[in-house]
Amino acid sequence: MSFDREADLSELLSGEGLESLGKSLAGLLGEDYALVSSKGEWLLGRAGEGRKSISIRLELEPLGHLEASCDEARLRGAAGLVTALLKEARRYHMASELHLEAVHADYEALQEKHHSLLKSEEKYRKLAAELDLRVKEQVRTIETAQRQLYQAEKLASVGQLAAGVAHEINNPLGFVRSNLATAGSYLKDLKGLSGLEGASVSSYWKANGLDFVLEDFAQLLEESVTGVDRVARIVSNLKDFSSVDGSGKKSVDLCENLRSVGELVSGQAGGRIEFEYDLSPLPPFSCFPGHINQMLLNILMNAVQSIEGGGRIRIFSRFESGEILIGIADDGCGIPDEAISRVFDPFYTTRVVGSGTGLGLTVSRDIATAHGGSIGIESAPGRGTEVRIRFPAGGGK
Amino acid sequence: MADYDEEARRLVIKLVYYGPALSGKTTNLMQLHEMLGTELKGDLMTLETQNDRTLFFDLLPVGFRAPSGLMVKFRLFTVPGQVIHDGTRKAVLSRADGVAFIADSQKNQSLNNAESFRNLAENAGRVGISFEDLPLVVQYNKRDLPGIVEEEEILARWSSTKWPVIFASAARGEGVKETLEALLRPVYLSLDADFDLETEHGLSLEGFVGSVLKGET
Repeated sequence: MSFDREADLSELLSGEGLESLGKSLAGLLGEDYALVSSKGEWLLGRAGEGRKSISIRLELEPLGHLEASCDEARLRGAAGLVTALLKEARRYHMASELHLEAVHADYEALQEKHHSLLKSEEKYRKLAAELDLRVKEQVRTIETAQRQLYQAEKLASVGQLAAGVAHEINNPLGFVRSNLATAGSYLKDLKGLSGLEGASVSSYWKANGLDFVLEDFAQLLEESVTGVDRVARIVSNLKDFSSVDGSGKKSVDLCENLRSVGELVSGQAGGRIEFEYDLSPLPPFSCFPGHINQMLLNILMNAVQSIEGGGRIRIFSRFESGEILIGIADDGCGIPDEAISRVFDPFYTTRVVGSGTGLGLTVSRDIATAHGGSIGIESAPGRGTEVRIRFPAGGGK
Repeated sequence: MADYDEEARRLVIKLVYYGPALSGKTTNLMQLHEMLGTELKGDLMTLETQNDRTLFFDLLPVGFRAPSGLMVKFRLFTVPGQVIHDGTRKAVLSRADGVAFIADSQKNQSLNNAESFRNLAENAGRVGISFEDLPLVVQYNKRDLPGIVEEEEILARWSSTKWPVIFASAARGEGVKETLEALLRPVYLSLDADFDLETEHGLSLEGFVGSVLKGET
């Protein structure tokens, strides 16, 4: 059905309207009348003979006719009324049909739009999911690479440390070994006494300088004990450093960590650098000791490397306003102004290729952050550098 | 597609006046109602306007009898030009046998003309009319107003298309009949192919056009 289809008489006149029109026409024309459609449908009135007839038209062709036996003027008037009524009915009919069609068309357009929106939404949803996956994958890749780099950095600094420690242990080992060899020959000298009696004892004693031997023997042993003690201390510091007693969280006294890492490093500096410990008591600190030691080692090694020839490194600790402060200050070369803002950047290094990963301070800052702390660095080029690390009392989360 | 009722011996042809708002579509129909002396001519039916703007459509029925006795009826419709009435426009355009596109010659209306023409092409597709094959004429109306685009420019713009361009001043009755004539010719050709107007009904192209455009007697 479309709005521009020409409706016929019975469509335009129906129901109550037709009934009341019938009553009015009967009043106007008398009972002897009829309204007949062009198809011959009997709409109103009844059949009759000898009537006058007037056709009813809206557009071009008659829709039907009105017939009656009354006088012609009356019939013409009635036909005019019916035509006017039909015109209104047609307006209403066409407008409402068109309205329906238009609404339907608009609805279809909306459906179409809705459908394409759904499609594009689906597309973007897929894209978003894909992007999410890709980002996660990238993050995983980056995290793995970072972990590997950090591991490499750790191995590098520990390797450097190990080389230093080996050297440091080698030294006492050397003189203990030589002392023991000398002690062996002294023992042989003393063995010569067995079987001698009387005057020959004292002549042998003198000839072999046994007074000196006995004195030196004691000294050798004393020296060797000192050397072995030194090795024992180094081993103990190393053990602290690597926290072989477990890799979990532990409550520690950070002063002890400062001291043992400091001693490890100072041993390697070979006496050219004076280490000063200015440690105030600190409350127990819950942490991963291995990580904390790695951080202290990185900072201390930087300090050692900044000093050419002789110098001083001051290691200090404070507990003030609920905060643990530990610091390492050196009087080395300092950091140039243009570099200071970048020292924590990954891979930033001023050392020659191959001698530093550029991750030492990056890792140190990560370790401080992971323990709820912060790390700050101040430097005066040519006069030295001071690194301060602050932690909330008790330890990080 | 024209509505052919073999039993009633009647062919009903639908022509649609399309175009942007206030371009003079209704004025064209009002002038035709005055000017045409077609054998049969109904009243111009205007269905609700608001501030001189068509809300639904206008309808002018005219018709004549072919030599064969076939009743040839034309129903000339206008569409509402305002953008928001697109659903109505689509319904009126549906089943059209020909379209007169009434453009506004004023310079500041070029964009509206283009937008409306694009809308016509789109809606034709949506109601299943092949725009390529649709008999179409373009009327540039309001030639009597100042600030209009030059004829040369308009002709140059449309020269690459196959559609005839007519200049008109509908308010003065100029170019109105010419526009309808330019539309009736391609309409006849496409109907003749479908209904054998010439051979079956003795209706030639000139007879077809002339019967509609007969002056008021």
